[in-house]
Amino acid sequence: MNAWLYMHAPQLLLDTQLALQTSVQQQQPQILLEGSRVGARQVVQYNQAAAAAGIHKHMTEVTATTLVAELQLRPYQAAQEQRILEQLAQLWYQDIAHIALYPPQGLLFEVASVLRLYGGFHGLLQQLQQRLQEWPIAYVVASGDTPMRARLLAQAGHSVLSNDARTVQQAVAQLPISRSGLEPIHITRLQQLGITTIGALQQRHRSALGKRFGRAMTQYLAQLQGELPTPQQYYQPPAQFSQQLDLLAEVASWQQLLFPLRRLLQQLEAFLQVRQLSVRSILLQVKHRDGQHTEQPIRFAHPVWQLKDMLGLTQLQLERQQLSQPALELGLRAQRLEPRQLQHGDLIQASSEVAAPTQPLGELVSRLQARLGQQAVQRSHSQRDWRPQQAQQWQLWQANTLPAMVMPQLPRPLWLLEPEQPIDPQQWQLQWGPERLASGWWDDAPCQRDYYVALDQQQRQGWIFHSQQGWFVHGWFT
Amino acid sequence: MAGSPDWAPVALHCRSSYSFLRAASQPKELVQRAIELGYQALAITDECSLAGAVKAYVAARNSPLKLIIGSEFELPELGRLVLLVQQHQGYAQLCELITQARRRATKGSYQLSVEAFLAAANSSLSDCLLLWRPASEEAFADYYQQLQQAFPERLWLAYSRHYQANDAEHYRRYVHYHQQSGIPVLAACEVYYHQPDRQPLYDVMTAIRAGQAVSDVVEQLLPNHEFCLRSRAELQRCYPMAWLAAASSLSQRCQFSMSELSYQYPAELVPAGRSADDYLRELTYAGVKLRFPDGLRSDVQEKLEKELSLIAQLGYAYFFLTIHDLVQFAQLRGILYQGRGSAANSVVCYCLQITAVNPDQIDVLFERFISVERDEPPDIDVDFEHQRREEIIQYIYQKYSRERAALAATVICYRLRSAFRDVGKALGFSEQELAHYMRHIDRRDQQLDWQQQLQQQVPQLAHTTRGRWLLQLTEQLRGMPRHLSQHVGGFVIAANSLAQLVPVENASMPERTVIQWDKDDIETLKLIKVDVLALGMLTALGKMFQLVAQFHQRHLDLASLPAEDPAVYQMLQQADSIGVFQVESRAQMNMLPRLKPARFYDLVVQIAIVRPGPIQGDMVHPYLRRRAGLEPVTYPSSAVQSVLERTLGVPIFQEQVIKLAMVAAGFSGGEADQLRRAMANWKSSGELRQFEQRLIDGMLARGYSADYAQRIYQQICGFGEYGFPESHSASFANLAYASAWMKCHYPAAFYCALLNSLPMGFYSAGQLITDAKRHHIPVLPVDIQTSQWDHQLVSLQAQLAIRLGLRLLKGLQGERCRELLARRPSGGYQQLQQLRQLGWSATELQQLAAADVLTKLSGHRYQSQWQSMALAHEQLPLFAQVGEADNDDGALPAPLEYHDIGADYASTGVSLRRHPLALLRESGLLKGCRSAAELPLLRHQQVVEVAGIVTCRQRPGTASGVTFITLEDETGLVNIVVWQATARQFKQAYLTARLLRVRGILERHGEVIHIIAGRLSDGSTALEQHNVHTKRSRDFH
Repeated sequence: MNAWLYMHAPQLLLDTQLALQTSVQQQQPQILLEGSRVGARQVVQYNQAAAAAGIHKHMTEVTATTLVAELQLRPYQAAQEQRILEQLAQLWYQDIAHIALYPPQGLLFEVASVLRLYGGFHGLLQQLQQRLQEWPIAYVVASGDTPMRARLLAQAGHSVLSNDARTVQQAVAQLPISRSGLEPIHITRLQQLGITTIGALQQRHRSALGKRFGRAMTQYLAQLQGELPTPQQYYQPPAQFSQQLDLLAEVASWQQLLFPLRRLLQQLEAFLQVRQLSVRSILLQVKHRDGQHTEQPIRFAHPVWQLKDMLGLTQLQLERQQLSQPALELGLRAQRLEPRQLQHGDLIQASSEVAAPTQPLGELVSRLQARLGQQAVQRSHSQRDWRPQQAQQWQLWQANTLPAMVMPQLPRPLWLLEPEQPIDPQQWQLQWGPERLASGWWDDAPCQRDYYVALDQQQRQGWIFHSQQGWFVHGWFT
Repeated sequence: MAGSPDWAPVALHCRSSYSFLRAASQPKELVQRAIELGYQALAITDECSLAGAVKAYVAARNSPLKLIIGSEFELPELGRLVLLVQQHQGYAQLCELITQARRRATKGSYQLSVEAFLAAANSSLSDCLLLWRPASEEAFADYYQQLQQAFPERLWLAYSRHYQANDAEHYRRYVHYHQQSGIPVLAACEVYYHQPDRQPLYDVMTAIRAGQAVSDVVEQLLPNHEFCLRSRAELQRCYPMAWLAAASSLSQRCQFSMSELSYQYPAELVPAGRSADDYLRELTYAGVKLRFPDGLRSDVQEKLEKELSLIAQLGYAYFFLTIHDLVQFAQLRGILYQGRGSAANSVVCYCLQITAVNPDQIDVLFERFISVERDEPPDIDVDFEHQRREEIIQYIYQKYSRERAALAATVICYRLRSAFRDVGKALGFSEQELAHYMRHIDRRDQQLDWQQQLQQQVPQLAHTTRGRWLLQLTEQLRGMPRHLSQHVGGFVIAANSLAQLVPVENASMPERTVIQWDKDDIETLKLIKVDVLALGMLTALGKMFQLVAQFHQRHLDLASLPAEDPAVYQMLQQADSIGVFQVESRAQMNMLPRLKPARFYDLVVQIAIVRPGPIQGDMVHPYLRRRAGLEPVTYPSSAVQSVLERTLGVPIFQEQVIKLAMVAAGFSGGEADQLRRAMANWKSSGELRQFEQRLIDGMLARGYSADYAQRIYQQICGFGEYGFPESHSASFANLAYASAWMKCHYPAAFYCALLNSLPMGFYSAGQLITDAKRHHIPVLPVDIQTSQWDHQLVSLQAQLAIRLGLRLLKGLQGERCRELLARRPSGGYQQLQQLRQLGWSATELQQLAAADVLTKLSGHRYQSQWQSMALAHEQLPLFAQVGEADNDDGALPAPLEYHDIGADYASTGVSLRRHPLALLRESGLLKGCRSAAELPLLRHQQVVEVAGIVTCRQRPGTASGVTFITLEDETGLVNIVVWQATARQFKQAYLTARLLRVRGILERHGEVIHIIAGRLSDGSTALEQHNVHTKRSRDFH
């Protein structure tokens, strides 16, 4: 009885990237490179077009690019591949309860119970494959009487699917020692001894091997044979809040939905409370009679978790919305969950009095945004730039923006005229200057101006400048 | 004077590119701009450095501009300090201060505390002027009285205005300082670049130093481009006239000029009461007796006298004596050496035993000794045995002390690649993007420069602002200094403390110091540099001589080898030159049978001709045709004949090209000298182009054809990259002949010594051993019972064989192994256990077993390793309980031949077993392929197929588009020529195959056989199937 199934996707990251490309793009030779130093990096994944041009695994970047000049190179990102692996596990979790992650490219399934359900490996594989219709990745699946045997076979590209433990054992015994998954140094040693297959390794006496290779080797052999049970960490899907309410009767407006919504938000409050989370955005889903959905995202300018905040803000945002068709079902999904501490720069600040005013300000902004729309509330944001136009930028209100000011204090008007207004310099009396600004050559808005502080005929103090275009006033000092 | 019409501006605080990424103009650019703007004085004040001073001096020499020498220092507590030199004494004081500050810190930085500065100021900066920019009002209040005391009447406040927002406040503060202390204020005019348009480059340098993109370090950038040299009118607008006048009158006090520096030779080499010239003459004539036992020929005597009088006239006797002293020491220690360089090929140097090139063989060379007109210091480099050069260096330090001797600096400048990468990163390009663009640049392309190549192949790059800046700023950054490094071996030795002549700083190597000037600076100031270089071939020759003395009781040295031995030339004519100095490369081996060297001077030509210069100038084929008598030897004029007669009318050497510029294009001696310098560093500066028109016009005016003139210019460009003078070629030819003579007459000693001198030369141990076997020298495997660390010569049935040593094994430590081998029992080890007991570590035992060195003790390689591994690990407690001694399952099966060969390569890079190709051929995998040994029997132009392990892929920069691939099979080497189109068509096999099959046309030129490849295919799978490791090919060196 082979109770284990192992899935190995050797090009998981690249395959996933390819799935998002057009077929023309997929034909371009592409590789993923691993290694820190540019130039000394090695090919770890490559697509068919690259393989056709003679590229293989572990080829150096230099050779690969000399071989194929138009090669597309991207760095291999292990963290990203691991996330993809988790998504894969999540996908298959619907079919198999016991999945263990073997990052970066493997999943182990405990299949003793499900094999009966699907009528053997064939049925199970069909079910697994069906989930991947939108996601064409190449993978190898192998069965095993022990997790390690299943893994070694799949990683070696041998798709052995059998109920007979001996078949698996024989197939593993024939694998070259380079596929044993032992430490590279041990693999080299064994090859130097002429022990070139796993079978040959198993023929040596275990204590003789242990004497020469240490405990790791005896443990390895025990695990391979299944004498040493390997504890598996099974995959747990992440906690998410997603609830539906059957409205039982058709409801025609958002106003009428507020009551059932309150119930859902109550549940959400409980969910957040237990996990000490807060939420930045929720998604309301309304199901209509014809089976169609309407989705309505609600965003909060600051993280919230209390029912009254969530309800009040949601209410404000829904006031301006119309419901296109009557609703039959209401769903709520929490979209941006955050640990509660994160809402302030740090914990200390959150607990001290200094932070107190920010809370009402945040609320005020949330309310203003809810009333006027997100675009209407902006704040002045100092940029690190010598050019006045670039230095003073307006941007959408965001609660957590830190002041990025590192530039020296410069005499600048609070408000810059946009656009600056032409003036007759004769009418002005220069008080101080010039401050010569010549900067920003690196982008498309270089600036070359001489600024002066000057008085106009009404004795108002202005900030004026001279450039190739002439004289302008750029702002007023109050 | 202020405001008067004859007032002219001065700039007292200018950083140059020698402040390394802290200023964006070269000293020359600053000086030229200052002259254009009518400045009366300019101070170059690099940070704790005088590295740019000589460059500025050269640029300002013969101009009305006064160059002031100075340096700036940043002391956090005090602020910025600028020290300016008044007289010679002040210069020496400044050098001492910089040296102190530099010697206290690690390479590239300096350390100067307030205390150290004030201490120096009170005692030893009496002839320096100080400009001060206080760090803050507190700093001013804290220190102004101490500074006033230390610099009475020599202290100013350095005000500088750059139209910034805080100008007014800044001005008021300086006025206040003055009122508070009475210290005068002057307009210092701080300058970081010569023209405003260098601001982008300066900003990029700031970003490079921060390791970030320009747009991420905006707060560190300066807000405008006012840190340039400004015009007179602009300065008058910007500063109070009184402050400008103060600067102007300060500059009057600085009278020192670099021309006052006079170098003095160390005097201790001459016995008291004798003159140097007199003593040199005595030593030379003592050498005459040794070198010319039969007496001097009258013409040589005449030459010698001329040289001696020239040396006396120019005052170079001490220089020759210094070198003589070094080589004397080398002789005493039995260290082989050889002098080279223009002055080395002289009768004097031959007699002083500085060189062993017999002037009888190449008397033509003495033309370029040293000349009065050129007014340049004599050039002698001395190569010493690579492994023993350190002894010479220690001798120099001991004899002259560290205060008086230091290495010359080498200025490391930005090159295309480094500039492109750094500018690109500063502009926010990713490494990937930059690597992608770089791939489109072929530096060997002679038609298009790199910018044109990129514009052509990646046109979208120039469509963006960033892309255009990348192209422009990379070009600007190219050639800018990055840091100082140490010269390979050029020592400057002074009569007294060196630090009074030039600042000395630490090198990255511990216990080495470098001066802040490079070889050009040294030449400019006529300092003398003694080049102590290292050469691997001298090490090898030294070992060969020892072996011959030991095994043949014959005592040889470089000077006593029989000259002009026909057998040696015959060997070389057959391209049997693996291991022979300078003529062993593939390209040289191709040339040997065509040039057929038959006397010493032919070797001199041979070494120089396979170089970019003659090849780019298309001079090789004319020379070969003329030499073979296929083309008449003609000269465009008798003037040219005088220069080119010895090379059959074809210019081959650098000296000839320069001489041609003089006789054929009318260059003056001075111009020719400029041309020579430009050739030496045209890559970094592109200076050579200015001579093109001058040269071609000059030659046309004198009746030479445009085509001939163009070829000479092309050759100059080629020389620029790898200038190769005749004088060097002659010295190299001497070693080439010596090593060839050894190979011809004592091949076993030759290979054994070469193998013991690795790494050096062109070939690996494996290739040398293969060549030795081809010359019927028995090579015995490494064996733990008999091998030493080094390879040994051993007698074997009335013949000498080479017993390989443990040094062949990868990963073993020489020092340790020698010790362990010394403890080997006289009868050899009895059992494996004994090695462990006598100190071999577990890992070492492993390595020995893997290399099959323990066979005699413990059986075949698998078994040896299995057994030695059991000795490696201490008994594990877990298994000790089991109570079994060793639960061994009996012997391991013996390795297959394939595996043994592969394991040999893996552990030593060499296998004495059968060649893998022999096995593949035996198993029928190479059907239809000819072996290397069969090729000489085939017809010219015959279609053949061959297969072999790729040992070398070479794409000489000179042969456009051609790759030479060397294949090795069990019978020898096959030379493949791959044209670019073929390489492209079979790109994969061309680039990556370990085992290559080639179908092509056999070409035969005399003894040389090539296959011109038509089809390449990768046969590596045959090797992989059998899991055979092979040695790695040397690709594209």
